[in-house]
Amino acid sequence: MTTTSENTTTPDLSWIDDITMTELERNPYKAYERLRAEAPLAYVPVLGSYVASTAEICREVATSPDFEAVITPAGGRTFGHPAIIGVNGDVHADLRGMVEPALQPVEVDRYVDDLVRPIARRYLEQFEDDGRAELVSQYCEPVSVRSLGDLLGLRDVESDTLRDWFAKLSRSFTNAAMTENGEFANPAGFDEGDQAKAEIQAAVDPLIDKWIVEPDDSAISRWLHDGMPPGRTRERSYIYPTIYVYLLGAMQEPGHGMASTLVGLFSEPDQMEQVVDDAQLIPRAISEGMRWTSPIWSATARISTGPVTVAGVDLPAGTPVILSYGAANHDTDVYEAPTRFDLHRPPLPHLAFGAGNHACAGIYYANHVMRIALEELFETIPVLERDTSARSEFWGWGFRGPTSLNVTWEV
Amino acid sequence: MGFTATVGGRAVACGEEQPILDAFLRAGVWMPNSCNQGTCGTCKLRVVSGEVDHHDSPADTLTDDERAAGLALACQARLCSDAVVESTAAAGGRTTHPLRDLVATVLDVEEIARETLRLRLDLPEPIAFDPGQYVELVVPGTGERRQYSLANTAGEDKVLELHIRLVPTGVATEGWIFGGLAAGDRVEITGPLGDFVLPTEDDGGPMVLIGGGTGLAPLLGLARTVLARDPQREVLLYHGVRGASDLYALDLLTELAGAHPRFRFVPVLSHEPPPDGREHRTGFPTDHFVDDVASARGWSGWLCGPPAMVEAGVKAFKRRRMAPRMIHREKFTPADAAS
Repeated sequence: MTTTSENTTTPDLSWIDDITMTELERNPYKAYERLRAEAPLAYVPVLGSYVASTAEICREVATSPDFEAVITPAGGRTFGHPAIIGVNGDVHADLRGMVEPALQPVEVDRYVDDLVRPIARRYLEQFEDDGRAELVSQYCEPVSVRSLGDLLGLRDVESDTLRDWFAKLSRSFTNAAMTENGEFANPAGFDEGDQAKAEIQAAVDPLIDKWIVEPDDSAISRWLHDGMPPGRTRERSYIYPTIYVYLLGAMQEPGHGMASTLVGLFSEPDQMEQVVDDAQLIPRAISEGMRWTSPIWSATARISTGPVTVAGVDLPAGTPVILSYGAANHDTDVYEAPTRFDLHRPPLPHLAFGAGNHACAGIYYANHVMRIALEELFETIPVLERDTSARSEFWGWGFRGPTSLNVTWEV
Repeated sequence: MGFTATVGGRAVACGEEQPILDAFLRAGVWMPNSCNQGTCGTCKLRVVSGEVDHHDSPADTLTDDERAAGLALACQARLCSDAVVESTAAAGGRTTHPLRDLVATVLDVEEIARETLRLRLDLPEPIAFDPGQYVELVVPGTGERRQYSLANTAGEDKVLELHIRLVPTGVATEGWIFGGLAAGDRVEITGPLGDFVLPTEDDGGPMVLIGGGTGLAPLLGLARTVLARDPQREVLLYHGVRGASDLYALDLLTELAGAHPRFRFVPVLSHEPPPDGREHRTGFPTDHFVDDVASARGWSGWLCGPPAMVEAGVKAFKRRRMAPRMIHREKFTPADAAS
């Protein structure tokens, strides 16, 4: 006769087997709250991966010498190799060295106001006298993509095209569901990402051809030339995966961050009024917005380089762990009442921009894009009211933010 | 014996019982400041190193979390050691007028409206200030201080003009100023204080000023200053009072309007009907502003009066799309209610 004592000593975690992608994309917080409580480092079958859900474990894995970066399977399928978020060693160092000059604080300070403020004003002029707007599609996303698009050198690519690309790449990147056999459960889900990449190459290849012979100040031109011997440029196949990283995350997430911050502020009308009246509070509001609904909610991963024990779980070499920063930023061990947006909560560090040597390279840039956009919005329309007849839904597991935000004001 | 506070590379000596803000302003080091009684939070600073005593800092203005995070209210905190501090707001490079203690002589006291006095103080020497700032008067024999806005322009630096409304049972008003203060009396004053001032880079755009009761005082200094700079500037001044007998400075305002085609003065009576034969608007000046001005984009707004009026004014200005950073406010805090 065999008996097992397992059921009496460990909680029944079979519910984890029942987690679905649809549920995570609609609202991941419920499942992750339970993961944090019962299994903060857990294997989640639908994701085909271990998942870290507390602040402590996310930070430990992100900064551990026993782990290095890896791209999630769906991310790797979408971006190809070598994408800056999924490589290590010399290639990673070269790609970081390629993108970082334009993102250094002193450099960002030099250009960001002149870049972003006129763009923000231009979009505001289009609707400021309408008395109503849907801010995600009319403001947050356009300001984000136009600013970065101009910085990259994609001035001739329409903002709506850039928005379309990030949306397709984003859905492809987070098409994460796996079968029991380790296959993609929804392979057709990558089609739109492939289509976006084909469009991107058709638009960007001619620009690269031009920049190879006529370098200019745009970021992609610099990526081709910086640090290369005279007369040589980086191969386009080498930089394309990182172009896709930008065209997804760097395009989409400042818009998500602005919109989440606005929804958070609307949930606390007194705090909204304080921030509108005192623009110096905007950076703090953005920081809280990024914690409250982290745009890069669960899109990065690490892989163990040898056998390692994390949070009491033995992981063999080569085990991927998805870092759920959006869940870590709701960790009740760190934040009191984390589901509440609170401008005045103690400004503890959060993980919205990641940690370790793969922490977001664009922190400073993104924070300033969001700051300037909100400054201009509140300056131009200081009496925004949320249109409560239209619900604002958040969506996303890998990347998360409001899908719409309808507002009205007196004209 | 005291300690030294270092801010932005400048060392300022602070007395043992001296608020840090007071020491800074006396040394000519600008710190944002407004109420100087711990209620507004404008002077919040970060203590980078060293110890401070928070003194009377209210918990509402400086929370325990903020204290734990090293913040302090410069107008309340005293140094307990040498310290390095930094402003939490952008300092903005504004120059400030040194804070002074002076003994002034009462030039005259005149009743200019119902329960309202104009007090003119002759200074022993001129004082530098920005129009819109205020001074503190020491109430003799009480240790109490009361704050009154200056109705002066910067050039009127030898005789200060204050407008003072009676507060029943108030130690400063009923107990002193309305109780026999007369020409020749000596008055201890400290000033200038406050941030209700024109921006260093004034863009010359239209201005609306709304004063409630004696909140008119600083607006007279501001309006006359900008009209002297640009006689053609669009300036709209509302004076909100309960009844016609509370109105004052009408001659001055009529004269200003006569000399400046784009200056408009609008008195508004909130509680009493206009006297026979007079046409006055009734209601609240902030509502009239909303009716009068379709768009306040590019305008600046100036509000001085009771908190409810100031709050209503902020809302009215924003409804008309005035940029929040262009809205300046000076709230009367009811310090003279017997405390």
